[in-house]
Amino acid sequence: MWYGFAGKLLRVNLTSGEFKVEELDKNELRKYMGCVGYAAKLLYQEMPAGIGPLAPEAKVVLATGAVTGTSCPSGGSYEVCYKSPLTGTWNQARSGGAFGPKLKYAGFDFVVIEGKAKEPVYIYIHDGKVEIKAAKHLWGLNVEETTDTLIRELDDPEISVATIGQAGENGVLYAALINDRGRAAGRGGIGAVFGSKNLKAVVVNGRGGIKVARPKEFAAAIEKAEQWLKNYPLSSIPTLGTVGLVSLNNSLGILPTKNFQETYFENADQISGEVLNRKYQIKRRACYGCSFACGRYTSVMSGKYATPPMEGPEYETVDMFGPICGVDDLEAIIRANYLCNVYGLDTVSTGMSIGFAMECYEKGLLTEKDTEGMPLRWGDGEVMVKLVEKIAHREGIGEFLAQGVKRMAEQLGPAAEEAAIHVKGLELPAHEPRSESKVLALQYAVSPRGGCHMHPNWASTWDFGQLDCGMKEFGMPWPPKEIQDESPQKGVAYRYVALQGEISEILGACIFYSWGTEGSCITPQLYAEIVSALTGWDVTAEELMLAAERSWNLKRCFNAREGFTREHDKLPKRFTKAIPNGPAKGLKVVNLDAMLDAYYEAMGWDKATGNPTPEKLKELGLEFAIMSS
Amino acid sequence: MAKMLMVDPSLCTGCHRCEMWCSLTKYGEINPSRSNVYVVRREPAVDVPVVCIQCGLCINVCPTGALKRDKKTMAVVVDKEKCVGCGMCTNVCPIGVLRIDKETKMAAKCDLCGGSPACAAHCPQNAIRYEVANKAAAKRRELWAMAHAVRNR
Repeated sequence: MWYGFAGKLLRVNLTSGEFKVEELDKNELRKYMGCVGYAAKLLYQEMPAGIGPLAPEAKVVLATGAVTGTSCPSGGSYEVCYKSPLTGTWNQARSGGAFGPKLKYAGFDFVVIEGKAKEPVYIYIHDGKVEIKAAKHLWGLNVEETTDTLIRELDDPEISVATIGQAGENGVLYAALINDRGRAAGRGGIGAVFGSKNLKAVVVNGRGGIKVARPKEFAAAIEKAEQWLKNYPLSSIPTLGTVGLVSLNNSLGILPTKNFQETYFENADQISGEVLNRKYQIKRRACYGCSFACGRYTSVMSGKYATPPMEGPEYETVDMFGPICGVDDLEAIIRANYLCNVYGLDTVSTGMSIGFAMECYEKGLLTEKDTEGMPLRWGDGEVMVKLVEKIAHREGIGEFLAQGVKRMAEQLGPAAEEAAIHVKGLELPAHEPRSESKVLALQYAVSPRGGCHMHPNWASTWDFGQLDCGMKEFGMPWPPKEIQDESPQKGVAYRYVALQGEISEILGACIFYSWGTEGSCITPQLYAEIVSALTGWDVTAEELMLAAERSWNLKRCFNAREGFTREHDKLPKRFTKAIPNGPAKGLKVVNLDAMLDAYYEAMGWDKATGNPTPEKLKELGLEFAIMSS
Repeated sequence: MAKMLMVDPSLCTGCHRCEMWCSLTKYGEINPSRSNVYVVRREPAVDVPVVCIQCGLCINVCPTGALKRDKKTMAVVVDKEKCVGCGMCTNVCPIGVLRIDKETKMAAKCDLCGGSPACAAHCPQNAIRYEVANKAAAKRRELWAMAHAVRNR
C-alpha cells in the first residue's frame, strides 16, 4: 500500500510505441524522497554522458513529489528533468497548474519518455491507462488550439494538457512546455526536446486521488501550515502577484534594464503590479492546491496589442519584455507574454535574446542588413512583439535569435561577448547579482542549469530577504552579513540556502512557500511533519536535508560527467564592472573566487574542479556516481 | 437561525483546496473526485465552486428513505443503513452535486460536516462561507440575477 505517492513509474518508448509500468521501490524512493531527487538518479543512471539533448537517445523525466496534488499549499508542482539543448547541462523546469496533481491522480509519480516517434504523437494517461495517439492533426497548432482540440476530441473538459507550440516544433533552443494553457515548464528548451521526439503533448486526468497514512495528523499539519502562511513575509506575492516586485526592485536600483547595462528604469511606474491589477487584470488564478494565487489573468481589450484573456505576465516576464528591452508599454508586454504562451517560448530567454540583439544593434554589431531592414531600437514595443513571432517561427532574424544569447555572441565575435548575459548558456533572469545580493552572484555561477535564480532557491532570501527559512538550527550563518559583503561566509551560507531550496524540489513543492521563518512559511521542519503524516514514513528535517544533498550532488555529478567544471562557474564580465546609475550606482562583483572556494569547501567538494569528491559521494551513498579517472 | 453555504465565484481562484479538504475530511484521502463540493474551472478565467443548497428534492425521490433532513444543521444527509446506491437522487439533483461514491457504492453529498464545513473553514480566498440563511439567500439572489444579466453587459 502506498501513501502520499502513487507508487508507479510509467516508461514510454516513442520509437517502439510501447510502454510499461514499473513499481517503485519504497526504500530507493525514500533515499531521494522523489520528484527531482529521484529524477536525478534516473537520468544519471540511464542517460550516459555525451548524448545529444535532441537525439532520440535523450530521455525526459516528468516528476512529481510527495506533496504534489495534496492539500499541502505548495503542492501544485511537477518538474520536467532532461538535458538542456541550450546549455548541455542538467536541466529541470518546474511548472504549476493542474498537470502534476492529475498525473498523480492518474496513478503515476513519474513518466520517463524515451526514443523518437516516426510521426507526431501525443501521450494520453488517464486512470492508469496509457495510449500513444496520433498527433499529425495537432502539429502546427499553437498551445491554445491544441488544448481546445484535445478537450473536444477526448470529450473531457477536466484533462490537463502539457503541450508544445510552434516554437518547440521548430526547435527554438529555449522553447517551453506549456500546461493548462498558461503555465510554463519554461527554462532550458524542453519544448525543443519534445519537438525532436515528435511528441506534441502529454495529456493527463485521473480520479485515483492520494491516500494519506495518518489523516488526522496530516490535517493538523496542513492547518498549521495554513496558519503560518498568514504571516508570510513576502505578502506582495499573494496580493499583487510577482509583478509587485517591479516597483520595489526599481526603487532599490535592482531592476535589470537594457540588457543589464543599467539597474534602474525610469518609467517603472507605468509597468507596475498596481497598473496591471487596475487596468488589465480579469482575475487572480491559482495553481492546483495553492492558497496564494500569484497568477493573474489579464487581457488587452483593444488597440494594436489587443490580447485575449491569458495567464500572466509574471515579474520575470514584465522585466524581460519591459526594462530589459527598454519598453515602458505594459500592453506590448502583455502581448509578448501571450505570444510566448501560445507559441511555447520561455519568456526569460526570449526577452533576453531580444535585449541582447537591441544592444548589439546599438553598438553596430547587428545592422539593418541582418534584420531585414528593421531597426532594433531600445523601447520599440512593436519591433519586440514582431521579434517574438519571428523567433517562434524561426523566420529571418528570428532564426538567429532562436539560438539564444551564447550562440549568437559566438557568431558575432568578441565585441558581442560583453553583451552576452548568460551563465553556461542560460540567459539570466530578472535579478541583479551586483546589487540585489551577493549570494545570488554565487548562485548564478554554480546553479546546475546555468544562470538561474530559482533552482534550487532564490539565494537572496538570506541576505536580501533576511530570512532564515528554518535553517538557523542547522548551522546557517546568522545574522546574514550585509548584501554587498563578498566574504567567504557567503559561500558557507549558500550551502544552506541551496539545500533548503532543494527540499522543495525533491518534494514537488512550489518554492514560494519556503521563504520565511518559523511561523511564517513552510520550513523543512514543518515539511517533515507534513510528509511524515502523509506517507507514514516518520521523516525528519535532517532526513530531508540529506536527501536534498544527494539530489544536489547528483546534479553536479551529471554536469561533471558532461565536462563541466569550476571554470564554467563564472559570471558574465559585465558584473565585474560598476553599475553606472540609479540608487545602486557603483556596485559590482569582485570576489567571486573566494565565495566559490568557501562554498565548495562547505559542500565537501574538490576546490580545483568544484565537483563532489569520492569521499563525499560515499558518505551520501552515491557510490555509483564516482567517476573513474 | 440555521446557517448555509454561500459562494462568491468572483473570489474563487480555482485552487481546488475545498475539494481536497472535503475528501480528506470524509474519506481520509486527497481526491477531488470524491468530494462533495465541486470547483468548475474552465477557460477563459471561469472558476465557480458549486455546493449543495440542501433543497431536499432528493429526499422525495429516494425509494428507501435513506435521505433525510438533519434537525440540527438542516442539511440533507444520507443514512448509510438504508442507501442502496440506486442513483435516483443523482438523477434528480438540479445542480448535479450528488454522486454515487465509487468505493462505498452509496449516495454521497454535502452534510455540512455536522455544522462546521471543512470547505468553508479552509477556503483561502473566502469564496465559500458558512453564513446565516438569509445572508446566504441574498447572495444566491445576486448570483442568480448576475448569471442571467451577464450577456447584456
